[in-house]
Amino acid sequence: MAIADILNAIVSLKKDEVVENVIAEIEAGTQVDDILNKGLIGAMDVVGEKFSSGEFFVPEMLMAAKAMQAGLEVLKPHLSGDAAAEKGTIIIGTVKGDLHDIGKNLVTMMVEGAGFNVIDLGVDVDTDKFVSEAQTRNADVVCLSALLTTTMPSMAKTVEAIKEAGLKVKTIVGGAPVTDAYAQQIGADGFSDNAPGAVELIRKLVAA
Amino acid sequence: MNARERMEAAINLKPVDRVPNAPFTEAPVCNYYGSTFRAALLEGPQMLEAHMKSLEEFKFDWVMLGMGLIGGIIPEALDCQVSYPEDVFPIIKKTTIFSMEDVDRIAKKNMFTKRMDSFLEGVSLLKKEFKDEVPIACEYVSPFTIATRLRGTNEIMMDIYENPELVHALQEAIVPLDIAIGKALIEAGVDYIFYGADMECPVLLSPNHYREFVHEPTTRVCNELSRLGSKVLPHMCGDIVKTGIVDMLLEMDIHGIMPGNLTQEKVLDIRKLKEKVKDRICIFDNINPNGPLLIGKPEEVAKETLEHLEKAKGMNGYIFSTAGTSSPFTPKENYLAMDKEVANFQWR
Repeated sequence: MAIADILNAIVSLKKDEVVENVIAEIEAGTQVDDILNKGLIGAMDVVGEKFSSGEFFVPEMLMAAKAMQAGLEVLKPHLSGDAAAEKGTIIIGTVKGDLHDIGKNLVTMMVEGAGFNVIDLGVDVDTDKFVSEAQTRNADVVCLSALLTTTMPSMAKTVEAIKEAGLKVKTIVGGAPVTDAYAQQIGADGFSDNAPGAVELIRKLVAA
Repeated sequence: MNARERMEAAINLKPVDRVPNAPFTEAPVCNYYGSTFRAALLEGPQMLEAHMKSLEEFKFDWVMLGMGLIGGIIPEALDCQVSYPEDVFPIIKKTTIFSMEDVDRIAKKNMFTKRMDSFLEGVSLLKKEFKDEVPIACEYVSPFTIATRLRGTNEIMMDIYENPELVHALQEAIVPLDIAIGKALIEAGVDYIFYGADMECPVLLSPNHYREFVHEPTTRVCNELSRLGSKVLPHMCGDIVKTGIVDMLLEMDIHGIMPGNLTQEKVLDIRKLKEKVKDRICIFDNINPNGPLLIGKPEEVAKETLEHLEKAKGMNGYIFSTAGTSSPFTPKENYLAMDKEVANFQWR
């Protein structure tokens, strides 16, 4: 048994093997931080690379994330303190008027997989909800998703409301119709057109 | 040439007097001229009024309908809970397929609800007004994309690995319903079925899974609608050339194809696509509806439009369009800039 087996099981989309390997590593006395960072989080980085290179598609991303989550559930009781919150707290949701969630869910899974504390507000989320959650949770980044061209103005409204509320939280936007130019126009701090890119962007924004 | 003659010539790869301009205008047009966005999407008389007014101002070569149909009317007829806001597209509030038993229930549904009849009435009214001079296109979707609406996209994508029988069975139940609605659209006056492969495009689904799960049921629907007299025009985002999806599409009885250029950075090389499809079908080239068209200035829209036209100059079977649905908030002056550029372009 090795941590590499956990990584390989996630990349092979084998949830049961992930759970078995995580249990085996815990029982063998392996550092839980290593299991988390080199096994589970490391695997999601590989999954992201495979998505970016066109080897993985949405079904594979979802299955890998599910396998990773199963491993994380086993590991959670052994993790010390609030490791995820230490990396940063991310608020995510699909904006008002839009019920599409596949892009949002992919980003959620990848960002969770990268070790962040993710608060998923779901779909059709009001501007006020984004603002209040960002405030009360002391969030580092708010991620706004939209699939419909008709709901993109809700992104602008939310970014504006966050700025008006005087929050220091960063905002990023994404979704099929959203462009970098649009992100700049509405004053968002970043844009990504895919889930792995969103993870990288969040890492940079949180580190800045 | 009138609009119909121009479109028919291009679809049949014959000479045209100018480049046909056939963008996805439904949402902006509803906003510019309709009573409300919702009414103009769904209700016959308002739909007629909005599109007739648009043709007085623009030189579009077709009228494109169907966002309300694919986004709300069809899912609602199949038991989804749908809301119809005044100013945005219909929203599916609750899906309807949770097990194989639900698939059996769907298979027995009568699709011709009041809303469906009202939509079909709008098509008939337009057909009558146009006197066959302007073709009517209607957005339509594949059994796989309907399946994602009924069950949820995440769920269907996971089912591909965890419950493949359900994915097959659900599409099998949808195919005859899809054909029945398509037939009704054609009878009401739709000339072109614009077949959106929204959820099976190579941005989301691998070519292998496309072949395994999507291709066969989609082919059955497309071939039947073609046999019934419609021109069938698939629309798919992503690199359909590199992934080989275009080869599978060419196995169907289709008349044209529209790749989706949803970003300016990833525009599919129109010449490479032409090499693939040769003179078998026409090509709908397109600019990004969320780029300058939505957020830029008229001169930027004109520039992007001209770049596309120059690249395709002289190509037979070429039709200009936008890559999918435009926002209802697209500035009218931007649409006019695009329209003018296409109408005035010296094609040869």
